[in-house]
Amino acid sequence: MALIEMENIKKDYFLGETVVHALKGINLQIDKGEFIAVWGPSGSGKTTLLNLMGAIDDPTEGETAISGKKIHSLSDNERSELRNETIGFIFQGFNLIPVLSALENVMLPLQIMGISGGEAKTRALKRLIEVGLGETMTQRPAKMSGGQQQRVAIARALVTDPSLVIADEPTANLDSETARMIIALMRELNEKEATTFIFSTHDQRLLDQVKRLVRLEDGKIVNGGSK
Amino acid sequence: MKNWIKMAIRNILRNKRRSFVTLVAIGVGFAAVSLFRGYTDNTYFGLRESAIRGEGLGHLIVYKAGWLQKGKLDPERYMFSKEEVKKITEIVTEEKDVVLATPQIHLTGIVSNGNISTIFLAQGVVSKDDRTIKGAWASFRPITGEGLNDKKKYGIEMAQDLAKHLNLEPGKDGVVMVSTLSGQMNAMDIQVSGVYDSGSDATNDKFMRYNYDFAQSLYDTQMAERIVILLNDWKKTETMRSRILGKLAGQGIACEIKTWNELSLFYSKVRGMFDMIFLFLFSIVLVIVVMSTVNTMSMAVLERTREIGTLRALGLKRKGVSLLFAIEGGLLGFLGSLIGMALHLSVWAIIRGISPTYTPPGVSTPIPLIVNLVPQSMAVLMIFLIFLSLAAAILPARRAAKQNVVDALGHV
Repeated sequence: MALIEMENIKKDYFLGETVVHALKGINLQIDKGEFIAVWGPSGSGKTTLLNLMGAIDDPTEGETAISGKKIHSLSDNERSELRNETIGFIFQGFNLIPVLSALENVMLPLQIMGISGGEAKTRALKRLIEVGLGETMTQRPAKMSGGQQQRVAIARALVTDPSLVIADEPTANLDSETARMIIALMRELNEKEATTFIFSTHDQRLLDQVKRLVRLEDGKIVNGGSK
Repeated sequence: MKNWIKMAIRNILRNKRRSFVTLVAIGVGFAAVSLFRGYTDNTYFGLRESAIRGEGLGHLIVYKAGWLQKGKLDPERYMFSKEEVKKITEIVTEEKDVVLATPQIHLTGIVSNGNISTIFLAQGVVSKDDRTIKGAWASFRPITGEGLNDKKKYGIEMAQDLAKHLNLEPGKDGVVMVSTLSGQMNAMDIQVSGVYDSGSDATNDKFMRYNYDFAQSLYDTQMAERIVILLNDWKKTETMRSRILGKLAGQGIACEIKTWNELSLFYSKVRGMFDMIFLFLFSIVLVIVVMSTVNTMSMAVLERTREIGTLRALGLKRKGVSLLFAIEGGLLGFLGSLIGMALHLSVWAIIRGISPTYTPPGVSTPIPLIVNLVPQSMAVLMIFLIFLSLAAAILPARRAAKQNVVDALGHV
């Protein structure tokens, strides 16, 4: 069974009386363990597609299934549980909670899951060490560099052992050296744990590393929709 | 939950100035209500003691059935006979919560110093029982002279303005005239044993107290108008009224019992006024707390929209977001109440240090301004403000929870 199945997905945005067709009938199937980049020009629908895969948005038409679960049939609470247990998010702007330390940020998804403080701390610390931030676990995001913050975000995305990690332009706010490190880290985790990574990017360095490229143009897949 | 509370505390500290203003608003509101409650607690205590002991009402007053409606028209019919007084006293004093039961007669008439005369209102009391009723309160308004005693049956206590008006002082003689039970005029010599402050401008120029036996002689009767009952705890007033009423009815004695607060008009009116002021003050504080909390939490929701989106994307349910903001609201109420308690204690200490006095309207002498510490009321107020702040945070919290995740994540 495919991890993600998208069937004839359309997404329209209504800006006053103007209708913007962001996605125009997307059909896509992604298997477990893939390392996929969604790329294309600005406004091609990359972020919209990732939001739909991440169950944080609804399509105007079509159906998305994650591990066989049809998203549109789930209640808001069930979707929240699905995101918490199955999906990890890495955002372009890192989106760490500023009042929490690196460790507490990584513990957050586990706390939402209801895992006890002790176990959550152990698991979060393990992930932080994996991303090379064991020494800076008590620091808050404001005291960390962009690269460090993005590594915390990666640790947070992986701490629940999700089957899918969605990253929206994860290297966009990073310098070249840090971007290279982040790419290498994601690649390593993908190979070691068979976690599926899907990310949108313009970064050629990242595109060179992926196994599969999905190119979007004007709301349609023009290349890489099927393997 | 511990981690969510920790996160809420850090979020409160995040915008220190705004949180400080909110906490001060809640704190000042708490202190205002709490201090007023402390002031009324002391005032109610003073008024209660003044009514029970100062006015000599005791806790319960037993009248023969019908006295309150027709007693003045036909007193003989509605007064207690000597035997009835004895029987009632025996029945009542069987109760362990009853300190004493004592008969009284109230008379009105004219008092003269030999040259000028004026009207008076007087209580005929058993002097030993009257001293028990007064208790420690007697030291609050001490009597000049020796006061009532059994040795000098014709000795009376006179309120200070009446004594001043008649130019009488302890040791000096006068004459009282009253209408007897059968309607004849009766006059008897008196000697002023003591002069006292009734505590009220309205009664200081009219009141007198004399011995019960003397009052009976003056009224030419062996009967009593009322039986005053003193209890060991004022809180048992209502319970004991029902109990004694039942017991007396069981013995075939038809009577009615009034409580001290029903008969003390001053207490009832002052309490009614203070309760109204308290309600008014409380309403203002309620509005301030709700407005401050709603404003703070609305600003917090607006500023943290992106964070809310992140938390939702990570899997936090809508009710989880609501809970997070509700905890913050509740914490604002809790911390604000702590500030309020500190303010209350500071003002309380200052008042105790300065010991200011004031003269309320209608009262003859200045009284000390005292604010009590009422821990029970402070605890109730704190719990109320915590829940109020929590409830006030619910509205913005629900708005936060209902936001679309994508829109929230895109919020700048």
